[in-house]
Amino acid sequence: MSEHSFDSAVEDVPNSMHPGASAEPNRSRWKRAGTVALGGALVVFGLRRRSLGGTVLALVGGALSYRTLSDYLTDAGEMEPVERSITIDKPADELSDLARDPESLARIVGHFADVSAVGDDRYRWSAGGPLARELSWEMEIAADESGERLRWETVDDESIGALFDSWSLSFDPAPGDRGTTVTLEVRFDPPGGTAGSAAAERLDVVPESLVGTALDRFKSLAETGTVPTTEHRPSARGRGDLL
Amino acid sequence: MTDETMRALTWHGEKDVRVSEVPRPEIVEPTDAIVEITATAICGSDLHLYNDRMPGMREGDVLGHEPMGEVVETGDQVENLEVGDRVVVPFTISCGSCWFCEEELYSLCDNSNPNAEMARKMMGQSPAGLFGYSHLLGGYAGGQAEFLRVPYADVGPIKIESDIPDEQVLFLSDVFPTGYMAAENADIEPEDTVAVWGCGPVGQFAVQSAQMMGANQVIAIDRVPERLEMAGEHGDAETINYEHADVYDQLMSMTGGRGPDRCIDAVGTEAHGTGLDGVSDRVKEGAKLQDDRPYVLREAIKCCRKGGTLSVPGVYLGRANVPFGPLMNKALTVKTGQTHMQRYLDPLLGKIEEGEIDPSFIISHQVGLEDGPEMYQTFNDKEDDCIKVVMTP
Ligand SMILES: [Zn+2]
Ligand SMILES: [Zn+2]
Repeated sequence: MSEHSFDSAVEDVPNSMHPGASAEPNRSRWKRAGTVALGGALVVFGLRRRSLGGTVLALVGGALSYRTLSDYLTDAGEMEPVERSITIDKPADELSDLARDPESLARIVGHFADVSAVGDDRYRWSAGGPLARELSWEMEIAADESGERLRWETVDDESIGALFDSWSLSFDPAPGDRGTTVTLEVRFDPPGGTAGSAAAERLDVVPESLVGTALDRFKSLAETGTVPTTEHRPSARGRGDLL
Repeated sequence: MTDETMRALTWHGEKDVRVSEVPRPEIVEPTDAIVEITATAICGSDLHLYNDRMPGMREGDVLGHEPMGEVVETGDQVENLEVGDRVVVPFTISCGSCWFCEEELYSLCDNSNPNAEMARKMMGQSPAGLFGYSHLLGGYAGGQAEFLRVPYADVGPIKIESDIPDEQVLFLSDVFPTGYMAAENADIEPEDTVAVWGCGPVGQFAVQSAQMMGANQVIAIDRVPERLEMAGEHGDAETINYEHADVYDQLMSMTGGRGPDRCIDAVGTEAHGTGLDGVSDRVKEGAKLQDDRPYVLREAIKCCRKGGTLSVPGVYLGRANVPFGPLMNKALTVKTGQTHMQRYLDPLLGKIEEGEIDPSFIISHQVGLEDGPEMYQTFNDKEDDCIKVVMTP
């Protein structure tokens, strides 16, 4: 079983979330990935320590279905953004500072990417694992309304292959003493577009999970100073999640 | 066995628990501690794993969530614990900083489940991570092992400063606080009759806690004679053996037709049904979605006094087909949840140290870790009067 065997892990199942999905060529190419029915086969893609979002989703059997990257493709050939919110028990400016600090950002997205600062307000992202050479891109801060909104955009000419073209956070006060509502909106734009490059074909992306987990990690880092982890966990399989 | 490895009980599928040599845990975050385990118990809820009814287990996972031992290493940021401290480790993992932890709803901690996304997909939101209880609830290695990594070490473990033996404090890790919270959730008032379904350890502690809270009458329901005797002897409960009597008829005759004011389901999904209900649930289980077997819930809803309380410490994992109509029309209150452990550790340690209760009465078997696999089977089959197994690694 190969390290990135996304295709083989996906069952050919009817797209239950989009029953009316058309069979136009672009779309059907992507549909090969289809809406993922999380059955036994997906253990393949769900359990690597660093996958692009499929991590940990695999074990719960056939009960769940997730939208994969292709499901966000509109009939017009554009990608719908993926948006999720979380409530974090900290003030907005503190969160906004944390979100743009390169070290913190690296921990927040550590489940699928490596991030480092390459200049003022400029960061290099690369996919974790063997895809790093094929998926590496630069993002810069395009909007910074302190404590309200923070938006990165991909700088095209510095990118080998970008996974998304924007990463936007907004911060709103939560009711009572609950802190701040943080919303993350990501516009995915996988390399090769809808035709699907070799890298994109092998992508193990469950967008809502990638975005949801990034927010979980952001919250934990802000509230506890650490990100919960079972790395190095002992089991009869050895040490850590890769085994 | 080397310095790098340890012995642990690991899960390998249905009714397959093994003693394995696995890597020793290490400090990963500065808020972690490593505890060398001196005593560790098998829980009734471990049988859900043993019978492969919990989604999210992987072959080789280290089991166990009821451990205690000695701190042998602490991360840089740990302030409350030092090497050499003797601690009991509660089964829920809580960060201590989130809104839920601040509200003392520790088992609902927002930050301790690294796999929150998976739990969210199944339940809407994720509860706290637990030791040794599936990847759905965190994927943390468990405490049926020689060593355990304890995250948020300042928040979870309780220090035992006196030289009180392990056997008396070990059950602070789960079953004593769980039985206690079950009784607390039942909102017991002095004239109340409390019925407790299930006389395993949680049921035994629920019976005793209900007495501590001043219940007028406590009725324990089970089918294992030794367990019923124990509830009578240690918990001063009246008993019903459901294999020999109709529980509803019995309860009505014992309460003048009113029904027990407070009902506690200390069984959960593994309940053995005797009627036809059991058959249809087993058939449904063949389908993809696992359904829980809610016999006790159904019976408790039927028996409970109108306007009464149903407290559910028993573990359910999936969906349960419960009679919501009677629940609604009888205006019952339902309270449930994994135990908010940190709320109860100090007060219940106090009760043990003052001699108000000696929880070691539930221990039926004391063995080494190497006997673990056999003990899982004995416990599962309810053989050899097995009610609580304590292992010393
Ligand atoms: Zn337990
Ligand atoms: Zn918490």
